[in-house]
Amino acid sequence: MRVLALIFITLCTALTPAIAAAQDAAELRRQIEQLQKQLQSVTDRLQRLEAQPPPTPTPAAAPGAAPPPPGAPPPSAIDLARPRQPFSLYQQRGSGQLLFDMGIAGDFVGNITQRNVARAGGGTFAGQENRFFPREVELSLFGQIDPYASAVVRIEAGEEGRGQETGVTLAEAYLTLLTLPFGTQARLGQVRNRFGWSNEVHEHDLPWVDRPNVMRNFLGREGLQEKGVELTLVPDLPFYIEALAGIFNGDNATAFGRGTLQHPLATGRLRTFFELGDEHAIQLGMSVASGQTDDRNRSTILGWEWRYKYRPDGWLHPLITLTGEALYSLRKADVGVDLDGDGTIDQVDKRQRNHWGWYTGLEVQPFRRWAGGVRYDWSQYPINPGWEWAIEPYVSFWPSEFLRFRLAYKHTDRSPQTRDAFNLNDSSARKVDELLFQASFILGAHPAHPF
Amino acid sequence: MRRTLLVLTAVLAALSLSLPGAHAERKLRVVATIPDLKSLTEAVGGDLVEVDSLTRGTQNFHEAEVRPSMMLKLRRADALIENGVELDTWADVAVTGANNANIIRGSAGRIEISRGIQLLEVPTTRVDRSMGDVHPLGNPHFSLDPGLAPIITQNIVDGLSRLAPDNRPAFEKNRQAFLQKLDGEMDRWTKLMEPVRGGKVVVYHPDFIYLLTRFGLVQVGTLEDRPGIPPSPQHLVQIIRQMKAEQVKVILVEPWNDLKLAERVAAEVGGAKALVMANSVGAVKGADNYIAAIDYNLKTLAQVLK
Repeated sequence: MRVLALIFITLCTALTPAIAAAQDAAELRRQIEQLQKQLQSVTDRLQRLEAQPPPTPTPAAAPGAAPPPPGAPPPSAIDLARPRQPFSLYQQRGSGQLLFDMGIAGDFVGNITQRNVARAGGGTFAGQENRFFPREVELSLFGQIDPYASAVVRIEAGEEGRGQETGVTLAEAYLTLLTLPFGTQARLGQVRNRFGWSNEVHEHDLPWVDRPNVMRNFLGREGLQEKGVELTLVPDLPFYIEALAGIFNGDNATAFGRGTLQHPLATGRLRTFFELGDEHAIQLGMSVASGQTDDRNRSTILGWEWRYKYRPDGWLHPLITLTGEALYSLRKADVGVDLDGDGTIDQVDKRQRNHWGWYTGLEVQPFRRWAGGVRYDWSQYPINPGWEWAIEPYVSFWPSEFLRFRLAYKHTDRSPQTRDAFNLNDSSARKVDELLFQASFILGAHPAHPF
Repeated sequence: MRRTLLVLTAVLAALSLSLPGAHAERKLRVVATIPDLKSLTEAVGGDLVEVDSLTRGTQNFHEAEVRPSMMLKLRRADALIENGVELDTWADVAVTGANNANIIRGSAGRIEISRGIQLLEVPTTRVDRSMGDVHPLGNPHFSLDPGLAPIITQNIVDGLSRLAPDNRPAFEKNRQAFLQKLDGEMDRWTKLMEPVRGGKVVVYHPDFIYLLTRFGLVQVGTLEDRPGIPPSPQHLVQIIRQMKAEQVKVILVEPWNDLKLAERVAAEVGGAKALVMANSVGAVKGADNYIAAIDYNLKTLAQVLK
């Protein structure tokens, strides 16, 4: 019995590998057949693909970045929806990549006018008459500081006057606190004040070659640029309204000039916006700035602004843009009084000087590359008597989004009372005719323009 | 004393109503930069969200004008869904003007849907503006490629779930239902496009490369000289010559581009057609939602290329 069991075990041990080997061979044959089928399938597919037209000629396409090739079956949406590894960013940031944006805007202007206007220094670009010069070449750096704040720094270079060195100045440098409660935001630093519509707009972004006369007369050639803090509130209402309040040094020499926080310049603005359908939009605003002049007199400027755009549906640009602003200045001024008529000033009186001015401009842009428009200015002077009016038709041409040329003609007519103000070198600039030229470009990043 | 208590109670009631947690059941207020993302967010969010778009389908998304009305929409938003890849960088200006900390860059409410997308036309050489308005990160017009909808909707679900974690199952369920529907459409579209596979087209602006590649069509050129640069006469002569040589019969035009110019080129080629395509939801009549926009484009292409 034991012998039988031994024989049985021996046979089993000997036969098992043989059976397994036979099974392995069958399995291998099956696998080879399967591989042959797969190879045939791949070959067929390759032949089909080769018979098709060449792939899309996209010269800059990254290899392997395309969706599945045309011959492949479309991926099932459900397949693609399966859980997978966390997404990576579309592009790895390399070491040394900047974490902020940078751009350069260049703005060159030229003007041709009468010789007497140049001698009198009475042109739009006083002291730069009959010259072509870099008005503003601006380096802008902007981006997020951290999750709570962003910052903007603008450094500007430009020729200030005939024969002068090109000066470099800090045009703007401010941070914006973005996460304040109740729909508020604070901007601290040196800013172009949000006073009216055009004051905040940089020279190269203006729709005209020059700043409107009333803005230059009442706020100076550079406009209102101050150091301090601005707080804005956008309340949660069914319509848009933005309220702004600010406290600044009051350094602007034309309108204020006291330059101390003990007697600060206070600013405010209310801005609202309406859309009449998709094609028409109107922005209205009111501003106020009140501070002291360097001779310690109160100076307050009130401003009103309006801007309308008509953009037909689907157009890349507005067909019609109407812009306007009015300023009203209430200012006390020291006036010397000769009481006894002996030619000497006996006392200084404070006199109220309430003067005003306005401008309005219409631009029509029927083509993507071309626009034409006209601006009309009427303005008194903040302290001096008299007034001036000007009309400025212009045409703009954009070879691309980043390059623009503009040609304008400007006629300015000043009232007789202004004779003493524009009479350098025994010349007169009462009537001024100017041909203005502007070339502007943008290199690199440039933030989108608000309305 | 009683009056004081009454006043206090009224004040507390008013305060409790104004607190964020008081409206636990309220819908998420979502704003999308472009209509395609609005449509996809509506599909994913269902009844749990109310969605608005900053732009319309007939606009050029590269050059959207930042209006205060955008800021008004964003002022109350819980989330902003943006395309990314530099298509809608203007949204930053609108967000800054909206004074809403929920949607500033880096916050939970800022949802970028390009994460995980394999972009086409990513430059492999040095780029500068002599090449036109190139996108250094790649072509950003991917949202109307149905094959990428799963990734886009996943990004939307992830983003919305950050703000409403309890609603993630509902968002995911909506998404699966939408993708299932899209899957069915995809089968139909694949059959529809099969006969015209390999067909050649010229586009005005490279808005359709993802859709064309997905369905095996070939973009042989653009009417624009370079992206964003209006066509020069020399370039037009060259493209007409190329269309004749390669027997291209179709020019695809966005609603905001110059259809008349495209028609003139088509006439010059002879026997060619210029077609206005839905480069976005709402760009043309009948393209009212995501699936309808793709359907419009593919039906148009299938018909003209057959």
